[in-house]
Amino acid sequence: MKSSEQLIKIIHSLVPAEKKIKIMNVCGSHEHTIAFSGIRSILPANLEIIPGPGCPVCVCSESDIINAINLSNNPDVILVTYGDMLRVPTRQGSIRADGTSYKMITSPMEAISIAKKNPEKSVVFFSIGFETTTAPTAAILQMGLPDNLFILSSHKLTPVIMELLVKDTTIAIDGFIAPGHVSAIVGANAWKVFPEKYGIPIVVAGFEAENLLMGLIEILSQLRDGLARAGNVYKQVVRPEGNAHAQGIINKFFKVADINWRGIGHVPESGLQLRDEYARHNANVEFNLQPIKEEKIPGCICGNIILGKAYPSACGLFKTQCSPRTPQGPCMVSMEGACNIWYRTSSE
Amino acid sequence: MKKIEIGHGGGGRLTRDLIQEVFLKHLKGDHLHALEDAATLSLKCDQIAMTTDSYVVHPLFFPGGNIGTLAICGTVNDLAVSGAIPQYISLGLILEEGLPLDTLEQIIMSISEAARDAGVQIVTGDTKVVEKGKGDGIYINTTGIGSIVRRMSAENIESGDVIICTGTLGDHGTAIALAREEFPVESELTSDCAALNKMLEPLFKIDGIRWMRDPTRGGAATVMVELADASGLGIQLFEDSIPLRNDVRFITEMLGFDPLYLANEGKAIIAVSESCSVEVLRMLHNNPLGVNACVIGKVTSDFKGVRLRTVIGGERSLIMAEEETLPRIC
Repeated sequence: MKSSEQLIKIIHSLVPAEKKIKIMNVCGSHEHTIAFSGIRSILPANLEIIPGPGCPVCVCSESDIINAINLSNNPDVILVTYGDMLRVPTRQGSIRADGTSYKMITSPMEAISIAKKNPEKSVVFFSIGFETTTAPTAAILQMGLPDNLFILSSHKLTPVIMELLVKDTTIAIDGFIAPGHVSAIVGANAWKVFPEKYGIPIVVAGFEAENLLMGLIEILSQLRDGLARAGNVYKQVVRPEGNAHAQGIINKFFKVADINWRGIGHVPESGLQLRDEYARHNANVEFNLQPIKEEKIPGCICGNIILGKAYPSACGLFKTQCSPRTPQGPCMVSMEGACNIWYRTSSE
Repeated sequence: MKKIEIGHGGGGRLTRDLIQEVFLKHLKGDHLHALEDAATLSLKCDQIAMTTDSYVVHPLFFPGGNIGTLAICGTVNDLAVSGAIPQYISLGLILEEGLPLDTLEQIIMSISEAARDAGVQIVTGDTKVVEKGKGDGIYINTTGIGSIVRRMSAENIESGDVIICTGTLGDHGTAIALAREEFPVESELTSDCAALNKMLEPLFKIDGIRWMRDPTRGGAATVMVELADASGLGIQLFEDSIPLRNDVRFITEMLGFDPLYLANEGKAIIAVSESCSVEVLRMLHNNPLGVNACVIGKVTSDFKGVRLRTVIGGERSLIMAEEETLPRIC
């Protein structure tokens, strides 16, 4: 294996001086490695690595969060969700600040035990994230849910939103680093649409800095040679066909549905909802939840950051009113959010 | 099993018994045994250093120490890194009704041992008791006084000075995290809790010593940011030089903690002129607490703030800890 120093030299040799190249990562953990390893500081100035919609907490719609806050204020309900979701700001506050009955969980299994311990209550699991977190939720559905456990699904499909970004010519993406964890579920082959339909190289990478540098080399080599392929430098974890069992149970319990993305809006067929056969556990049905129109947070540019149209440092609130302690927008909340990561690592 | 009762803090007979049977049994020294309202002390120096710290660590006992050892070492270290010889310590205890007397006695024995090892005297004390459910077993406050033999200040540092760390970082924070049993990890890691005065005092004679700090809450990163802010200079740290135990590296990576932000209770970070750095390292290496001492960075006027040169040769900024990674660490 080559040293990081050698890998960086190769990257420099692959980037023509006159050409601007923009590569997007769509995974909060990738952005974390890139920022904490200082990868941007050693790349050629005309090679941009931009964070895209890779943080599951950041893209969760305001509508779903407000519905979750309202549910936690229903005296018959205990709302359970992942820790970061408790702090995401909306115009109606956050679950932690403005909700009443809520519990943080780290695994969907805990939702089952909380439901069993509280048979007189309805327990609503606010289940969010991409394919990586959908699989464990499908796994508890497969085990069978207690009668008093309901799923508020805000699950999203990574490839669909990436296609939307590709079609937006104002972003002009030259290549993608495909998310490692999501790829473990959907498989490296799931990204073939990008080279085949749009002529854009895409490479699955892992989370070590050297592995990401290898991914960049693969993308840059394809660009130099005028090729576009779906590559994989994370073969120890990601198989071409992915995890067939996980795909099977996701497909068994969930159907593709239109969903709202924070800062992006309504995107057809980009989310997952429980299939009609399991409507008995669907919180949207049980509590007759209605979509709420999103309101922009004054001054916050999280929408553009999620779309890869702006860097966190371009926001007027960044490091002034907005910090991990006082997040104004969703990207500052989670450790995987671009603004949060940049706050902790950028000198800008 | 005997337990603490509300009356033990009442100032009456129960208090007197507690003092005789637990405190005076283990804590030696004329000042304390006089049982006056205040200790009368003498210090032969131009300037004294005084510091106070409260200890609320959870759990009370952890691998490598307990709240008692921490209460002595923490206050001794605050004096030592201020260029002082620690001498006298006060001991304020807030006990919760129901605390087993055995537990209290064990903590007092640790206090006695830590004070003896550090060469400090406990000269005055106070005990209060709160109702069951209104404390967490025991909270301790210690105030320490020492004679200053060497003035040090962040204003003394210059571009070109080097930053020395006296040993591995993040041991205490990681050990406490594991002791809370919230994480299913087993390890032989212990807290680095130790009094640093005997190791640091010989360094006071070296001209090139500019500044010292013990990186407790907020960790080494926070202390470095404070130095950069106070001096108006930049600090460049080298990630591949930062001493980390392998188990700390592994566990913090797994738990998502950054060891640069985790508390240490037996380490100092020292800014020293480049010309004196070899001598400082040699002296530190002579002490068992300083065998892993090494240069982790340098002071520069090229930028302000703290930047870390990463193992792959990249660079990122370090900021002051935004939120406490682990509350009640000391």
